[in-house]
Amino acid sequence: MRMLEEFWQALDERFDLAPLVEFATHKEVPRHRHSWAYYFGGLTLFFFLVQITTGILLLLYYRPTSEAAFESVQFIVTRVPFGWLVRSVHSWSANLMILSAFAHMFSVYFLGSYAKPRELTWWSGFALLGLAVGFGFSGYLLPWNELSFFATRIGTDMVSKVPFAGAWLLKFLRGGEDVTGATLTRFFGFHVAVLPMITAALLGLHLALIQRQGMHVPEGLEEEAKTRKPIPFVPNFMLRESVVWLLGLAALAALAAFFPWELGVKADPFASAPAGIHPEWYFLFMFETLKLIPAHVLGIEGELLGLGVFGLGGLVWFLVPVLDRGSRKGHRTRAFLVLGWLLLAYIVSFTLASLAGVFK
Amino acid sequence: MTDRVLTATVVLTLATAAALAAPSPSPIGTPGKHTEDSCVGCHSKLDDSRLRAPAEVAKSDIHLTQGVSCAGCHGGDPSSDDSSVAMSPARGFTGKIGVRTIPEMCGSCHSNAAFMLRYSPNIPTDQLAQYRTSKHGQALAKGDTNVAVCTSCHGTHGILPPSDARSPVYPTRIVETCGRCHGNAALMSRYGIKGDEVSEYKRSVHYAALVAKNDLSAPTCKSCHGAHGATPPGISSVSNVCGTCHLSQRERFDQSPHKDAFAALQQPACESCHSNHAILHPQDSWIGMGDKQICGSCHSAGDVGATAAASIASALAKASSAEVTTLARVQRVERSGMLMDEATVKLEEAHQAFVMAQLEIHTASVGRVESQTKAALGALTAADKSAAGAEAEIRYRRSGLFVSLAVIALAMVLLILKIRAMER
Repeated sequence: MRMLEEFWQALDERFDLAPLVEFATHKEVPRHRHSWAYYFGGLTLFFFLVQITTGILLLLYYRPTSEAAFESVQFIVTRVPFGWLVRSVHSWSANLMILSAFAHMFSVYFLGSYAKPRELTWWSGFALLGLAVGFGFSGYLLPWNELSFFATRIGTDMVSKVPFAGAWLLKFLRGGEDVTGATLTRFFGFHVAVLPMITAALLGLHLALIQRQGMHVPEGLEEEAKTRKPIPFVPNFMLRESVVWLLGLAALAALAAFFPWELGVKADPFASAPAGIHPEWYFLFMFETLKLIPAHVLGIEGELLGLGVFGLGGLVWFLVPVLDRGSRKGHRTRAFLVLGWLLLAYIVSFTLASLAGVFK
Repeated sequence: MTDRVLTATVVLTLATAAALAAPSPSPIGTPGKHTEDSCVGCHSKLDDSRLRAPAEVAKSDIHLTQGVSCAGCHGGDPSSDDSSVAMSPARGFTGKIGVRTIPEMCGSCHSNAAFMLRYSPNIPTDQLAQYRTSKHGQALAKGDTNVAVCTSCHGTHGILPPSDARSPVYPTRIVETCGRCHGNAALMSRYGIKGDEVSEYKRSVHYAALVAKNDLSAPTCKSCHGAHGATPPGISSVSNVCGTCHLSQRERFDQSPHKDAFAALQQPACESCHSNHAILHPQDSWIGMGDKQICGSCHSAGDVGATAAASIASALAKASSAEVTTLARVQRVERSGMLMDEATVKLEEAHQAFVMAQLEIHTASVGRVESQTKAALGALTAADKSAAGAEAEIRYRRSGLFVSLAVIALAMVLLILKIRAMER
């Protein structure tokens, strides 16, 4: 015990850590009827940490070439001790991370936490969600199975619709004209080096901003938050968050054991695309919408129009802290609340309808 | 005056006769170059649809596309626009060609190897010779004009190469072509033929392969009976006909005691068990002495053949049942998310051995069938063991999950209790 104290004093003497401990000890989380929303960000962080851990373990055996990728994943799930568990947890955790990130984003939106002075937190969070989706898209191809191969071919083909830079972007993503071993190596590079590096930096900023600015109390709940005793961050909120993380861990363990992630059939670039090719579930609402748009609308190619509308929608969503002028004065505009509910209803209904096979 | 008129008449008559008697241009043009002549020109404008029809299909006719004009068969002078000259008997015009002369007329070119070489180096030229040996050719020689001649199968005008999917002799269409006559029971009764051969063939595995799988190598009428030399295969040659494709079965049948026995009984080899036209997918359940089984048609209960049949049927049933059970178990484990590659290989191995056992039935040797069913059972046991191992692994994983869930739940309860205690 004495040794520990001496070690702490040595560190504090050199790095002046006492103010940080002082900050942590006095940090508080407001308590009100919507305090539950504060846990989604932490849960997303938990799944991200699981991704890093399991991802590193998978890296020990995975081989990123079109000749060996499928076989290496097959080896992991059949021969490596607990390889099946690590791979299954990695796949399930990826999906739960996206789900949790969406829940976090919508809860932040509906509680108006994007408003001034938290614009930068919203923007960094938006970028982090984009990166998470990028992780999902690049990771989907890595097992090099039939479904992922053809879904990537369709997915990457969409960027070719981008005016002017489309052809270049397509080539940049694929590393050539078609999805080949070069695409796999490229996606692997994005997945394990480029995206983690950017994510680490942005995540650091995102967390630092939250610590600096504290938790936002939603409009109309200020009085309630004042009358109720706030939750000390250390250790009360951390312990509460730990319960949520354990719940996430239990969900992961159950999903991995009862619904092991399938490996599928090895991709054959010369075979014709099998029926029922679809992207990951979080792309389904866009995928089904693009299929519903006619080939040409007012002389514009339907797919291009769809992608343009999605791009514009994404931009509006990103700029909400600026566009919702009322929120800057503490009074959120009703139109943006309605917009949020409409978007949520659209995403949920299209995703569920697609999973239920309504669009087949 | 009379002399002058007479002289003029004679001169005109001689001139006309000379003109009509002048040699017609050759009806055979350059191979590969489409022929345009007055026949098609005039006939395509005629009001009578019967006379117009040949001109309408002429464009796709293999002969015209290869430079052989209408005159090649019908004679006449296609270079003249004057119908009285073009269709003059003096220029060899024959008009409608009689049925009895058709084979010889077609054969005048198609049997000429030197001539046919102009069109293709490997084109057969023995069609007429084969036709003369066929039942059709023999009947025609006796004056029966109801039998098939070249045009009955290949068509008259608008003849297409046999490789063209629209041709009546293309593999997928030839059954209907033969069936135009052979499906007519009234016509066939004159020749002592049942007339149900085509409808029977349509129940067969061969027809299913041809139509459902579009397998152009599947046997049709001509594969067994011959095309130009169409004749029913005799009793002694049936196994040769079937053995053309079913080599392994034929080889094994030749080693079996059935070969000599069938020959002694004047029984056709394959047909005795498999039928001829309605060749159904063989079933293991056919082996035995029961009412719907085939061995009893020759063997008696208790004889050597009946005992062997019972042993073969039992060995096959045992292997077949084990295959079904093991396959279901492996598939169930696969659905649970386990990779069963090794078991799948063993299942394939077992299935191959089982197919070999079915092949060995043709030897009528219990030992040979059983050696294959034993190999199948061995592979199935290995696959089953692999599935059992995977099931044990699933149980282990689930137990591990429940233990970890219990630990997690306990940790959560303790944390909640701690938080409550802290915030009380």
